[in-house]
Order: sequence, then C-alpha cells, then structure tokens
Amino acid sequence: MTTPPNRFRRRVPVSAVALRVLVALLYVFLLAPLVIIVVISFSSNQYLSFPPTGFSLRWYAELPAETTFIQGMQTTLITASITTLIVLLIGVPASIALARYEVPGRGAISAFFLSPLLVPSVVLALGLVLTLGPLGLTNTYQGIVIGHVSITLPYVIRTTLMSLTTADTSSEEAARVLGANGWAVFRLITLPIIRPGVIAGGIVAFVVSFDEAVISLFVAESGKPTLPVQILRYVADSADAAVAALSVVLILFSVVIVVLVERVMGLRRTLI
Amino acid sequence: MSTPKLALVDLTKRYQPGLAPAVDHLNMEVEEGHLVALLGPSGCGKTTTLRMVAGLMDPTAGRIVVDGEDITSIPVHRRGMGMVFQSYALFPHMNVAANVAFGLRMRRLPKSERLERVRRALDMVQLGYLAERETKALSGGQQQRIALARALVVEPTLLLLDEPLSNLDAKLRESMRGEIRAIQQRTGATTLFVTHDQDEALDMADRIAVMNGGLIEQFGEPSEVYERPRTRFVAEFIGRANLLDATVVADRGPSGADERRYDVQVPGFGAVGAVGAPGLTGATRTMLVRPHRVQVHCDPGASGSPGTVESVSYTGDSVGYRVRVGDRAQLAEAPTDGRIAAPGDVVRLDWDPASAYLLPEEEER
Amino acid sequence: MSATTSIAVPRLPGADDLPPGHGVHEHRSRRRDRRTFWALAAPGLLGLAVTYLLPLLYMVRMAFNRGKPDGFIEQTFTLDTLIKPLTDSYYWKVTLDTFLMGLVVAAICVVISYPLALFLTRSTSRYKSLLIALAIAPLLTSAVVRTYGWMVILGGAGLVNSTLMHLGLVTVPLRLTNNMTGVVIGLVEIFMPYAILVMMSGFGRLDPRLEEAAASLGARPRAVFARITLPLTLPALLSAFLLIFVLSISSFITTNLLGGGAVHVLATEIYDQATGLLNWPFAAALSVILLVLFGVVIAIYQTVTRRLRLDA
Repeated sequence: MTTPPNRFRRRVPVSAVALRVLVALLYVFLLAPLVIIVVISFSSNQYLSFPPTGFSLRWYAELPAETTFIQGMQTTLITASITTLIVLLIGVPASIALARYEVPGRGAISAFFLSPLLVPSVVLALGLVLTLGPLGLTNTYQGIVIGHVSITLPYVIRTTLMSLTTADTSSEEAARVLGANGWAVFRLITLPIIRPGVIAGGIVAFVVSFDEAVISLFVAESGKPTLPVQILRYVADSADAAVAALSVVLILFSVVIVVLVERVMGLRRTLI
Repeated sequence: MSTPKLALVDLTKRYQPGLAPAVDHLNMEVEEGHLVALLGPSGCGKTTTLRMVAGLMDPTAGRIVVDGEDITSIPVHRRGMGMVFQSYALFPHMNVAANVAFGLRMRRLPKSERLERVRRALDMVQLGYLAERETKALSGGQQQRIALARALVVEPTLLLLDEPLSNLDAKLRESMRGEIRAIQQRTGATTLFVTHDQDEALDMADRIAVMNGGLIEQFGEPSEVYERPRTRFVAEFIGRANLLDATVVADRGPSGADERRYDVQVPGFGAVGAVGAPGLTGATRTMLVRPHRVQVHCDPGASGSPGTVESVSYTGDSVGYRVRVGDRAQLAEAPTDGRIAAPGDVVRLDWDPASAYLLPEEEER
Repeated sequence: MSATTSIAVPRLPGADDLPPGHGVHEHRSRRRDRRTFWALAAPGLLGLAVTYLLPLLYMVRMAFNRGKPDGFIEQTFTLDTLIKPLTDSYYWKVTLDTFLMGLVVAAICVVISYPLALFLTRSTSRYKSLLIALAIAPLLTSAVVRTYGWMVILGGAGLVNSTLMHLGLVTVPLRLTNNMTGVVIGLVEIFMPYAILVMMSGFGRLDPRLEEAAASLGARPRAVFARITLPLTLPALLSAFLLIFVLSISSFITTNLLGGGAVHVLATEIYDQATGLLNWPFAAALSVILLVLFGVVIAIYQTVTRRLRLDA
C-alpha cells in the first residue's frame, strides 16, 4: 500500500509487513465498537450471545413505534439545529474580526473563544444546571441550546478562521480598489471564499451538539432527554441488543456527516 | 506646466512611532499618460507608497493629489483606481468575465454596457476566448492579463501595478513587459509600477523613481538615471558599476549642454579623463564607470592602466572580468570576439573619458 | 517590500514626533477598525459570557456555599466545602485515581496511535484519504454509542468472553467491564482519533528527505528513527499526550458506563454529588479541584515544551 506500483517484484522487508499488520490491528481496534453494534443490531435475540443465534430486522421494525426515541430524536434535531444557527450567526462575524482586524488583546480573545473545548464538560454542565435551574430553563429546549452554544462555537470559529487566514486577502483588497464598499466586499468576495469553512464548521457544530450527552444529561435529563441521553440511560441499565438499531441510526447519521465534511472541506482540516 | 496627474506631497508612513518611517516625506509628480516605475530594494517603501495611493493604507502625514484634487481622505472604494496585485488576486469563485465585470458592477453600469466593455477589455489582452473559463485553470501569464483587463476596464484614474511580473518565469516576464507597455500606451493610463527589477524599470518606464529607505533618491528618465545617477546608491542599484575615488585636477572645457570635461587623478589609474557638473576643479568625487564601457587590452603594448585578471566569467554574449588594479578590483565587460584573457594575465584597462562620470556631492541624510 | 506589510496594522502612536494635525486619517481609520472589530466580536463574546463564563463563575461561587444534608444550600462564604475533600482520604484517592487514569490512558493511547499516525503521514497509497477518514471518523460518532459498543464487546456475555469460553481458554468470564480495565480500554479507543489528528498535524515538519539524508549518511533504520524521526515528532507526541490526558480526566460517559459504578473518579463523583445527593456546593468544590488539576497539568506541559524548544 505504501509503495508505488512497480513492474518488478520488490522484496518487502519484514519490518514493513509487521507495520502493516500492526496498522490493520489498530484499525480493527478503532472500528470494533461501531462494527459490533451494527452486527448485533441485526441479531434476533435480545440478550447478547456470540455468535448471534439468528438475524432479523425486528429492532429496526420496532424503532418507529418507540415514541420516547422519536421524541428524543425530535428534541435532538431541534436543539442541534438551533444551536448550529446561533453559533454560525455569532461565530462567523467573530472569526472575521479575529482574522481581519488587529486590536490589542486579540490573542487573548481568540484563546477565550476556543477555551470551552478544554473545560471538562461535567464541570461546565454543573455550572449550567446551577445557573439555568433558578431561571426555570432546565428541561427546556432553550436550556439545552444554551448549554451547547459554548462547546460548538469553537469549531465554527476554528474552521472559519482557517479559511479566512488561508484565503488570499489581496482579492478583498482588489475588490475594494474596484469600488466595493465593506459590505459588498463581505457579501461578494469574503463570504463566497470562506463558504466551505463556514459550512464545515456548521456541520461539525451540528454533529457535536447532536452527539453531546453530558450537558444534556445534567440540564434536561428528566424533561427533555436528547437521543444520546436516552441511549445513555438505557445502556446504563443493560447493554442488550434493543438499543443497537437506534445506535446504528446515529452511526449512519455520522457517516453521512463525515462524507459531507470530507466533500466540503476535508475532514482532517476541519477537526484540528 | 499643466497640473500633474498625480502629486505626492510630503507623503509619510510610519508603522510604529519611534521606528524609522517606511515612507519619509516623499514628493513626486507624475505626468498624465506616463508610466512611472517605483524602483528599489525590498523595504524601500515602494509598495507602501503604492498602497497609500490606492487607498489601501492611510498615510501618517502628507497628501495625495490627483488632478489637482486632494484625495487623501477619500476611501479606497471611491478613488476609482485600477490595481494589479503581485498575486493577481483574481476572485477564485468567479469566472474570467465576472472578474473583469466586477468593477463595472460596482459602478452599477447597465448589463449591456457591462458585457460590451468586458468583451473589449478581454480582446485588448487577447483573451476573449477565455471569458467563460474558471480562473484557477489559467496559466500565470493569462491570470496576469486578466488582472490587467480587470483593472483597465473601469478606465481608472491611475493604473497601479504591484510587482505584476515577479510571479512569472523569465521568458514570459520579458514578453509581458512589452505587452503591458503597449497596452498602457494605447489606453494612455497614467501608471505607477512597483518593481525591484531594474531591467523592467529601464525597459518600460517613462520615468523611474529610485527609492531607498523611504526616500526617492532620484526621479528621472531611464537613461538619465542610468547614465547620470545622483548618488552612489542609484549608481550601484541600477546596473553594475565601478566606483572610483577621483580628485579633480583641471577643467578641460565644456562637454555637452551643462557638463564639463575634467582631468582627474585616480589611485591605481593615474591621470584619466572624466565628465561632471561645472565647478568641480580641486574637489574629490566618486567617479562612475560602467563595466561595459571599460576596454580590456590583452596586448602588453597597449595604452591604459595595468591590472591582473582575478576571475573571468563567460556568458556567451560577453566576458566579464574582475581585474585588480592597485589594491582594488574593478569590473569590466568585453565582447567575446577578441582574445579572452585568463586569470593571472596582466591586462590594460582604459575608457573613453566621456563615459566616466563624476557623481555630485551627496547630502547627508 | 512585500504585501504582507499591509497586515501589520500599527499600534496607536504615543508621543510621536509628527507635527500636530497630521495622521488624522490614519487615526480615524484605526479607530474605525477597532470599532468594527468589537462590533463583529461582540455577539460571540456576549454569547460565551452568558453560556460559558457566567455558569463557570457561578459554579466557582457555589463551592463557597455549604450544602445541607436535606439538599438545601446555605448561602454563605466559607472555605469549608472546598477544604472537606482535601481532608478526606477518600477524595485524595479519587483525585489520585483520576490522575493515574489520565496518565495510563494518555500513555497507551499515544503509544498505539503513533505508528498509525506515522503510517498515515507517510502513506503514498491512493486510499490515503480514505484511510485517514476511517481513522478519524469515529470522532464524529457519539461517545455514548461507542461506549455501548465496548460494553457489548467486553461485557460478561460479550464478544471477548464468548470467544474465550468457546475456545475453552477460560471457564469463568473475565471481568472486563465495571472496573478500571474496561474504562481504560474504552477511553483509549475513544480518544485515539484525537491523538492521530494531533500527531498528524504535528508531523507536518517531518520531511521524509531528512530521514533519507540520515540514511544516506550511513544511519541504520533504528538510528534514523531514534535520531531523526523521534526527536522531530516528539513535540506532537507531547501535545497529543496532554490532550488525551486532559480529555481522560474529564471524561464522564465512558467512565460512568464502563466503570459501572465501581470506578470513582472526579467526574463521576461530581455527577453523583450533584444529581444523586443534590449536594451542589460539594459537587462545585470537586469541580474546582478538577479545574485546578487541569491548570497544573497545562502549566507543566507549557514548561516542558518551552524547555524542549530552548534545547532544540
């Protein structure tokens, strides 16, 4: 895999073979939990046994009837969508400010915007539930959205900032010389150029909010459990096959996201 | 004299207080229709000057006057300039026609007129057939010409070119010089052209402003800047130069309009001839002799000052010599048809007195 | 003079030697720039202040209150709540376990991600981008789902134990969940994509020509690795280590599910105190300890990397 095609057979050194075997094993380890869930989601018995005694689609058939899951899905989609919208609206202008205007303390402001990624979500979740509780915002859509804004904003800022800093600023200057005012430059030049970064950031923000469990657990476990919270509660009781079909739905969702992000901007650039 | 198209009055840019200014009380006047090259090494302030004229940067002090009107406080998008960037700065998400049409769109021209003018601008750079192409797929030369068309289509007050040729390979650069010059002359656009390449400036410009340390060292026609540099810096920056210390001994009468021929004494060369401004008798001056004006005689019986060849570089068109005369090495460039000396050979150097020029006294900066 | 000088927008001059009345436009435009900056950044800053800074500050304030046995909070300003875990050997053990878990997970994760990241960086395969995507895509699946997968694999009736028993290698299922072993396995896998990402972006400066140059100068493969590859990739290894450590000691879902109530670290204790015992001030006090631990680790990391850079 690592060597270019060669008409002549080359002796592959032992160490190279060993490396490939190691890499393959690591991929197995890395993907094992996802693969296993897909396998048991088709198993016919509820309680785990390996190999599964039979295969069926019963767990998938039962999904639409599970009203709690449907409600959870609804909560998750609504809150993730609103969160994404909000962080895009506040994150894109902030990124432009950070990338295009120099003011004293800009580095500190930029660090502040990215810092929520470093704070343990349990700690943030605790702070949120303490703050939102007295305001009556726990177990509401608003509460979940408020909880997810800070942890998704860094992704939007990071990807947008990256497209802004890699873009050639001289095309913005060219537009200004040709008569475009500030707003026209943004609308006609900057925004189209950074669009992939904004979209990728939005997608990642959406999926982070969609998958988030800890803050949602603290803030809205009893009233508005999101899908990950429901799976979390179910799995905490028993790790049987019933919840696998639902998990596969989430995995498929992630696969779609991965493909989308890869298309728009490249997965690797988006996540780091 | 009529009002200049562009006048820079005491233009100054200081990036940080306490630091030396990037542009220091710069004064310059550009005539309508001229192509003026701002020539200098990197850091000399030429790009800063251009960006201030464009309005992309605010001067710390001074004024920019176009057609007699002070535009210093007019924001960039209302100045009506046309600019070609070093990176061309084509809008990556627009095709060629949309790029060229952008300035017209900003001027809210009706669509039909827009299309017509874009077509004419693209024809002017002979790229009409690329109108619907994406810009990313174009070669450097093509992008360059699209950028030029985009800047010219708005009939700019001034055309500003920021090192437009530096991203092209050597061959293309030379042909683009001629093309840009021809288009500039056809449109009559008054042009400021930033470059660090002296050949480019000599070849294309009506006037050259040689800049150094935020100041204009000399502003003049290419031949004037080359033949009659005002400072050592200009003499050394434009072309190659032998600079010798000369003591002026005697005035030998007029040479040309306002110069005189002198007898000078140069260490290592003895008594030689030179030209310079009037009234230099008794003074000490730096004398400039361009290497290709130095004659190299291999024949030991020839006239001239003897020197030892230190190195020889053969370029095909000519032979370059480093010749040690006294305690200093001098450069000479000879045609390749004669005998070519070898390192270690003793040769004799001399030159036509009219091609040795005594530089004016330099003011302290 | 390059166009980059335009980016260096100057600071406001203090005592400048320019005559008065000059530079008016410059000052005005600088003021305008500053106003634009704040106008653009304000919504984001306000959003973070409300949804992030305020909750954290409120949480810290809560640590100075006193929780009463009946679940009520005594509004006061005392150090008692913060001191309590420090005088209780149980919480010292919890803190120590948290720290050790972070170290072990980070060490294993970095060691096994390293060959994969090196392989992916050097790969010239046409499937390279697919392989990279496959290695980091798990990042975009829910940690809950992946933990669930590990419960299925490691559980008493799970894949590993079923296989081992079928093969007759064990008679009693191995205890791989509801203990630290399970937590570590799960966390290592869950954080691997992060480690790979951080390493790959840090390996950018690993120019294969350097390794080739070393080899051409007579270095054997082992020497090339020890003298060229490892030193050049060490900074990336360290930052991956730090990231995984930080993520591990704050992880809640995986420690909670795979720990099954038998693994007690700061994150699970915070949750239990808050939602189980409703002792909010004490949960807040534990959170403060976790934050302090964070700060210490990041400070150590910065000292270490700074020293490495000085040596380099």
